[in-house]
Amino acid sequence: MKASPFRRVAVGALASLSLVLTACSGGSAGSAPELSNKPVTLRVTWWGDDNRAKLTNEAIAAFEKKYPNIKIKGEYKDWNGYWDALATTTAAKDSPDVLQMDELYLASYADRGALYDLSKAKKFLGTSQFDAQALATGQVNETQYALPVGVGVSSIVVNTDLFKKYGVAIPDDKTWTWADYAKVAKELTDKSGGKINGAAGAPGFYAGDPKYWARQEGGNLFDKDGNVSIKPKALVDMWTYGLNLISSGAGIKASAMVEDLTAGVTAGTFATGKAAMMGAYNTQVTALQQATGAHLRLLQPPHDGNAKANFFKPSMYWAVSSQSQHPAEAATFVNFLLNDPAGADILKTERGIPANKQILKHLEPALTGTDKAAADYMNEVTPGPSPVVTPNGGSGIEPMLQRYTQEVYFKKTSPEDAAKAFIKELQGEIDAAK
Amino acid sequence: MTDRAIAVPTRSQPVARAHAARHGRRRVRALLKHVLLVACVLVMLYPVLWMVVSSLRPNSEIFRDAGLALTHPRLENYSNGWTAFAQPFSHYLVNSLLVVIGAILGNLLACSMAAYAFARLEFKAKRLWFGIMLVTIMLPIHVIIVPQYALFSQLGWVNTFLPLIVPKFLATDAFFIFLMVQFIRGIPREIDEAARIDGAGHARIFFNIIVPLMVPALATTAIFTFIWTWNDFYTQLIYLTDPSMYTTPLALRAFVDQQSATDWGSVFAMSVVSLVPVFLVFLFGQRFLLRGIATTGGK
Amino acid sequence: MSSISELRRLRGSQRDTRQQNKAALFFLLPWFVGLFGITLGPMLASLYLSFTKYNLLQPPQFSGLDNWTRMLHDDRLHKSLEVTFTYVLVSVPLQLALALGLALLLDKGVRGLAFYRSVFYLPSLIGGSVAIAVLWRTVFGTDGLVNKALALVGIHGQGWVSEPGTALSTLIVLNVWTFGSPMVIFLAGLRQIPASLYEAASVDGAGRWRQFRNITLPLLTPIIFFNLVLQIIHAFQTFTQAFVVSGGTGGPADSTLFYSLYLYQRGFGQFDMGYASALAWLLLLIVGVFTAVNFWASKYWVFYDD
Repeated sequence: MKASPFRRVAVGALASLSLVLTACSGGSAGSAPELSNKPVTLRVTWWGDDNRAKLTNEAIAAFEKKYPNIKIKGEYKDWNGYWDALATTTAAKDSPDVLQMDELYLASYADRGALYDLSKAKKFLGTSQFDAQALATGQVNETQYALPVGVGVSSIVVNTDLFKKYGVAIPDDKTWTWADYAKVAKELTDKSGGKINGAAGAPGFYAGDPKYWARQEGGNLFDKDGNVSIKPKALVDMWTYGLNLISSGAGIKASAMVEDLTAGVTAGTFATGKAAMMGAYNTQVTALQQATGAHLRLLQPPHDGNAKANFFKPSMYWAVSSQSQHPAEAATFVNFLLNDPAGADILKTERGIPANKQILKHLEPALTGTDKAAADYMNEVTPGPSPVVTPNGGSGIEPMLQRYTQEVYFKKTSPEDAAKAFIKELQGEIDAAK
Repeated sequence: MTDRAIAVPTRSQPVARAHAARHGRRRVRALLKHVLLVACVLVMLYPVLWMVVSSLRPNSEIFRDAGLALTHPRLENYSNGWTAFAQPFSHYLVNSLLVVIGAILGNLLACSMAAYAFARLEFKAKRLWFGIMLVTIMLPIHVIIVPQYALFSQLGWVNTFLPLIVPKFLATDAFFIFLMVQFIRGIPREIDEAARIDGAGHARIFFNIIVPLMVPALATTAIFTFIWTWNDFYTQLIYLTDPSMYTTPLALRAFVDQQSATDWGSVFAMSVVSLVPVFLVFLFGQRFLLRGIATTGGK
Repeated sequence: MSSISELRRLRGSQRDTRQQNKAALFFLLPWFVGLFGITLGPMLASLYLSFTKYNLLQPPQFSGLDNWTRMLHDDRLHKSLEVTFTYVLVSVPLQLALALGLALLLDKGVRGLAFYRSVFYLPSLIGGSVAIAVLWRTVFGTDGLVNKALALVGIHGQGWVSEPGTALSTLIVLNVWTFGSPMVIFLAGLRQIPASLYEAASVDGAGRWRQFRNITLPLLTPIIFFNLVLQIIHAFQTFTQAFVVSGGTGGPADSTLFYSLYLYQRGFGQFDMGYASALAWLLLLIVGVFTAVNFWASKYWVFYDD
């Protein structure tokens, strides 16, 4: 009883330690991959709800029919669980082959060698139908680590039923400024007698907000080298605007915004018809339509200064793990999802308006209702160049931003102090990851 | 045995009157107790009832109404939720049940054995081992999960129920060891000392004397293991990858996506469905909690 | 009282010692296998990682005491300690008092016991599910039930769950609300007290209060102690409820930033697993000290019959 336990301690500890400590590179370094002539099984993972699971599984079945040699095992999780599981499996060298990726995490995985360089699998995965802008959103250090599935673009969703009910004219979104937005919102609040608020939310809860406000003033949130380059003034302007929105009654209270944040897009103030306008991605309009049951319209966001502040944001990407033993097959599958009309006919716009131009053209005639509205909106807007991908170390920017925004909106700190502290903390995380 | 007052027989006049008075006082006290309990019940239950009512509402109403009034009960939420995934919801319930049964058996056996050793035996470095046992309860799962996943994936156990069950047979839920130690220490030592004098070995004392006497603790362990395993999201999320292996909490979580229109009606409906087994287990399981020394005739 | 055991101890021969060691090995074998095979390895791995810079995706690099000295200047860590200590010190006593009170009430002599017990346990069943976030917003939100009730008496309430000043209190309420587990343990403990003791006391003419003080309470102390130790450990580790209610952020403005939540954010949100491991071991030290003090103090108030 004496000696053996200690030996076993050593063995057990070493076994798990050594796995974590060793850096075993993926099974596919260097040369271009080839399709295996033996049957291959791929693991594919994504986040999303039951509806997405259903469509993706149908696409998988279609793919397996076309490529009988390749078997796909789909795994789906909710957003938070997805990242926990992906980090854990990747750390334990047991990553799935094909991954759904998000803009926030792309560089964090790519920079640390967890993703496969897709250009090596060119033969199986075409990129010609994507424009350079779209491709750039999947590049880190000029390497194509991921391909965008769909794109979205920022908008103001308005509930036209409420506008009609309270006799407020829908403003002209070609010219309006943030001051106009606040004015219209206030008018709605007043005319409803406080029953609703004009605007749900205020800027500062999503990573896209500081990007937009920085671009309005001719800057950017991150520069080319992946450092924080937003000027404190842009943040101060953003938060000051939000504070005024709240205090004037044009917008909802800060606490209601916090509640909306945890409620998710389809259970919040706007979705329950208690506000008439909200900033959202155009692709969310279908979900919002279902939740409100009202007539909705997409307006371009107001702007002060630079009219090209808006930008295309990839809703998500497909990427291949560097640990995959079958990169050729993985690339073939991604190709099917992104470039094959047969795949697109099943998946449609569930993951966003396709970034692949050909596919979008292929799908467009059949789009109806809010899907069509979202696609039409995309053609209307004139966004500027895409911002650089969130750098390695910046994956936590959203909760960080929300924390500072809440401190400002609950008046625990001033916009000026928050701006300085936010920039410092964000840059600190990026430096620590280098 | 709950209400002895009912069975009081009437005797001679004065005694009966005294009895009636005491009876009356007891009635008042019982009534007060009930009032208190019912008040508690209402406060405790409101959110639960709201959840049940919401499971019968259309999505558009759920977040607009904190009340309990139900105008048009909508059973579609149940049928929609039941068939939302590739497998019917029962599939996930069965998976959960399998994991839960394995976990309960493991915990009952392994933890009670370890507890007997800690409570009744003297052995080398006992206090040290006991300390180590407590320490294993204290480290948060999030920092252990990565090396542990590496271990289980090396064993080829990922995407099976083994990582969720085998550890229970190895008494890794030290919480229950501690629980049972406390219970065994509450059993008078004379009982097993007497058996020892009669020549019984430790195995016999454990199985024939201690185990029957600690039925309440075992029932507690079983109920808790059931509920915690049933609700455990994190380890199941990490170890079960194939959707056909998913358990109830994983399936429930898969309804919710922050980007798209979550079908909250279905979420609530299936939440209610997944509560039913746990509630039933508790309702019936608690009978065993009542089997203390008082009823097993230990003394 | 235990003359037999006294006798045994006197006779405690070497043979007996060896026999007990052997028996202990047998009874503890599963636990030993689990400890050395499953638990200890990952634990030691995390201890090692606490001295490294480790981002999960690349091999860890030894960094000495960097993680540990960093804690001294980590404002969010200090905030999370404040939140967690407040939570532990307020919610544990409240929850245990409620659990014990109701367990005593539900022990015997009430009609419909089984029903009440199950009903009181219901909240614990849904305590960690996704529905709880919605539920808590419905009760404590700006348009929630509490505010509707307050509006009836003319008070304009705030969003309890979403104001930094009150968000933590709603989580304390949530913890107290799920008092089912300690209640069940108390109930089991009450059932273990031999009925003969009460009968004897009745014969001696002891009233209810004296029976409670002289029999129930002392014999229940091991269980009270157990609940206290475990609830403190659990409260320190609170994760799921805080995660679900705040959507993983610990907000608003870090007012519900529980220790485990912060640890999780560092480890998985920021890929800062080296630091997260150090945080885990600091938590272990804190909880260990609390537990040790508890055990030390238990000598003075916990009564064992062995």
